[in-house]
Amino acid sequence: MTQRQTQILYRTCWTIALLIVAIPFMFPFVWMVSAGFKSTTEIFGAPTLIPRVWRWQNFIEVFTYQPFARQYFNSLYIAILVTVLTLIISSLAGYALARMRFAGAGLLMLFLISALMVPEEVTIIPNFFLIRSMGLVDTHWPLILLPTFGPQGVMATFLMRQYFLALPKELEDAGKMDGLSRFGVWWRIALPMSRPALAAVAIITFLSSWNLFLEPLIFLSSLEMFTLPLALSNFNDSYGLPLWNLQLAATTLAVVPILIVYLIAQRQIIESFALSGVKG
Amino acid sequence: MTNVLLKGIEKRFGSVEVIRGVDLQIDDGEFVVFVGPSGCGKSTLLRLISGLEHISAGDILIGDRLVNEVQPAQRGVAMVFQSYALYPHLTVRDNMGFGLKVRKMPADERQKRVAEAAATLKLDTLLDRYPRELSGGQRQRVAIGRAIVGHPDVFLFDEPLSNLDAELRVHMRSEIAALHKRLATTMIYVTHDQIEAMTLADKIVVLRDGRVEQVGSPRTLYENPANIFVAQFIGSPKMNVLPADAAPLLAALPATLSPAESVGVRPEHLMVVKPGEGILRGKVTLAEYTGAVTLLHVALADGHTCLAIYDKQEMPEVGAEIGLKADARDLHFFDSHGQATKLRSN
Amino acid sequence: MEAWLFVSPSAVGFLIFFLGPLCAVVYFSMTEWNLLTQQAAFVGLANFEDALLENPDFWHVVRNSVIFALGLVPLNMALALTLALALSRPFFGVVFFRTVFFAPVVTSAIAWAIVWKFLLQGEGGFINQMLAIVGISGPNWLREPNWAMAAVIVTRVIKMVGLNMILYIAALQAIPRDYEAAARLEGASRWQIFRMIIWPLLAPTTLIIMVITTIGSFKVFDHIYQMTGGGPENGTLVLAFYIYQQGFKFFNIGYASALAMIMFVIVMMLTIVQVMLRRKGAE
Ligand SMILES: Nc1ncnc2c1ncn2[C@@H]1O[C@H](COP(=O)(O)OP(=O)(O)O)[C@@H](O)[C@H]1O
Ligand SMILES: [Mg+2]
Repeated sequence: MTQRQTQILYRTCWTIALLIVAIPFMFPFVWMVSAGFKSTTEIFGAPTLIPRVWRWQNFIEVFTYQPFARQYFNSLYIAILVTVLTLIISSLAGYALARMRFAGAGLLMLFLISALMVPEEVTIIPNFFLIRSMGLVDTHWPLILLPTFGPQGVMATFLMRQYFLALPKELEDAGKMDGLSRFGVWWRIALPMSRPALAAVAIITFLSSWNLFLEPLIFLSSLEMFTLPLALSNFNDSYGLPLWNLQLAATTLAVVPILIVYLIAQRQIIESFALSGVKG
Repeated sequence: MTNVLLKGIEKRFGSVEVIRGVDLQIDDGEFVVFVGPSGCGKSTLLRLISGLEHISAGDILIGDRLVNEVQPAQRGVAMVFQSYALYPHLTVRDNMGFGLKVRKMPADERQKRVAEAAATLKLDTLLDRYPRELSGGQRQRVAIGRAIVGHPDVFLFDEPLSNLDAELRVHMRSEIAALHKRLATTMIYVTHDQIEAMTLADKIVVLRDGRVEQVGSPRTLYENPANIFVAQFIGSPKMNVLPADAAPLLAALPATLSPAESVGVRPEHLMVVKPGEGILRGKVTLAEYTGAVTLLHVALADGHTCLAIYDKQEMPEVGAEIGLKADARDLHFFDSHGQATKLRSN
Repeated sequence: MEAWLFVSPSAVGFLIFFLGPLCAVVYFSMTEWNLLTQQAAFVGLANFEDALLENPDFWHVVRNSVIFALGLVPLNMALALTLALALSRPFFGVVFFRTVFFAPVVTSAIAWAIVWKFLLQGEGGFINQMLAIVGISGPNWLREPNWAMAAVIVTRVIKMVGLNMILYIAALQAIPRDYEAAARLEGASRWQIFRMIIWPLLAPTTLIIMVITTIGSFKVFDHIYQMTGGGPENGTLVLAFYIYQQGFKFFNIGYASALAMIMFVIVMMLTIVQVMLRRKGAE
């Protein structure tokens, strides 16, 4: 065999192996969509990839079983709000930590670094009492405040700081010479130059808010206030057993739009996660 | 005894043709330099010889053995990389011994070879250091040492000096020349620096866009360049090329100008004289004094600029009118395709 | 002072929602406080004594968490590295595979767990139906403690491996190609190149990934909540879930806080180990 042939054989073997490994990564999505269209009887019958009878009804019942549209909207607006807040707060703090000298900067950095690693489970109990004393249980405030100021927000701050540090300082100096204030330099020069970092923070923050579960579970009790993950876990019959076809139809509705955005922007999204590095 | 033969070598990356048919004979013990502008395919050609890249067409013979399908490690070649490619997690000793180790050479024999190479390259005291603890020149030596220990039949160098500062470069150049003299092994050396090529080579191969423009000794290339490209690439500052009409003004020519379209003359061959009839005239626009000589930029009446090296003390002023002259022997004529040509005698 | 204008939103929020609660949890952990009985009393280290010495549940939970970590971390890292090695060089299909392997990372853990719970049902579950075709009668995956643990580990690995994969890909792409070329010229086989060059150069990345993944494995909550609810027979009851259960199901605030402190210590120790190893590696 020539080198070329060996190489082709080698490539082919790898590709086949990768295709096999890819099955458990892709198949759950396929099966989720397929089962979302099935009737209860078909779901437990012999497996069919394409539903024998397309039961569109499922997708209507999803909305009548619980206020799913409202819940969908909750998730969306909370995720957007958290993203915007995080972008503003983390880029402000990140900029100060990267470019300004001030008393307490070292101490602040130290605290932030330690916060990066502490899981939210550790502080969730005192936070519950804090939120309760503020009268904010069963509102969306804890879902907005805790991620923005918790480990997620700290990570965003670090990411922004790293990015600002790597920017050439000359441009900002030029801005100062032109009479911009600190705030002006941040807004007109540093931020526009940091689009990749801002995009990364936005993507990661949005997804983590969209997928947030522990906080909604603990703080929310009325169905109208639920967010998607909590709503999804709530498609049960009166015995607490899952209503599979409804649950999977709802899951499809929750997951597919995100997947479509992911497929369109996969490069950007994957790079954002690579940039942040920390998370898991 | 190892010669290297390239026959009709081609290389494509996808649809991009990088090497477009190279034929070359390299004799045993010869020091051959591939030279050409950046991106012309020098490294690619070297990697094809080493086997790191697979040829798209043609044949490669090393020591009369067809090696098209032979693994890189079995070709008996060693390579010194531009980046040195020293493994950062291994000491100098382990870097140099790496190849011997993966080839399962016994430890004592390995130590002997490494010590031998280290002595030659004056690396004895650095053997337990890591690459990051070495200076640029020392890293360069380790990279060469790593190539030496395997006792290869052919050495391949890919711009080995381009990461060194000017002074060190001159020094390492002479060390490589000395190494070649001592080992008398076939060496193929890639550079874009024509001075390196001229000083080191037994034979220079000028490459351009994946093709060989000319092969010859440094003297041949300097004195008889095959075309304008080679003429201008070899020699510094580069050769002036003027319309052929200028030639009779520079020197008395016995023949007609056809088929020459242009004439080339090296700056060091132009003589500055008083302006006068029948002499190429121009105005000095810039005089760059370098100590030993002065480099004059001369604007000719027809709008061309040419360079002349002036080695006398009293310097013409900027703006002064001067005349230029040359020896007929030093004129190079090129036809409309830029190929070297002789004037027809009549 | 201008600088504090920039950092104050972040710093104040951080103080209120992170540092304050972190101090509070230390205090809470030393109280006997049950929301149901509405009584709180300072009891010193009694909660820790209870957890470490008396309550058999605690050690069961620790055992589960350790098994979970020991199963998840090596499997995740080995798969991530293998995939990264296959996908770090451009070839036809590389973007497709990267996209596929990373897709579960952006998917909600709850959604992922719902679908896998569906696939892993004992009767009528797709996995068992497939196994039946080749003549294997599959277990009732999520109803038998050991199988449930295995199922949770494997589905979690599939969910998260893409993240480590891209971290490894980035590290592999940062290794100069000339190292491999030089080694190939010197006669090293693919395996030798990996073993003697790539793997040592990946060591810092491997270390970071290992610590992040281990910490992540101690934090896993939503996945377990949705797939097994800690069951069967507490077979998948891990630390994060146990904290939730004690604090928000049984309202043993003091005890749950003590558990949270223990988790804090574990995570901090892992972080310190990482920092120390990194220092050592840098020497
Ligand atoms: N692996 C590759 N894939 C695609 N193109 C390549 C590859 N290697 C080199 N090339 C292209 O081949 C040409 C010659 O490259 P190279 O041999 O490195 O030039 P040189 O060493 O003379 O500067 C360049 O245009 C380069 O972009
Ligand atoms: Mg090159």
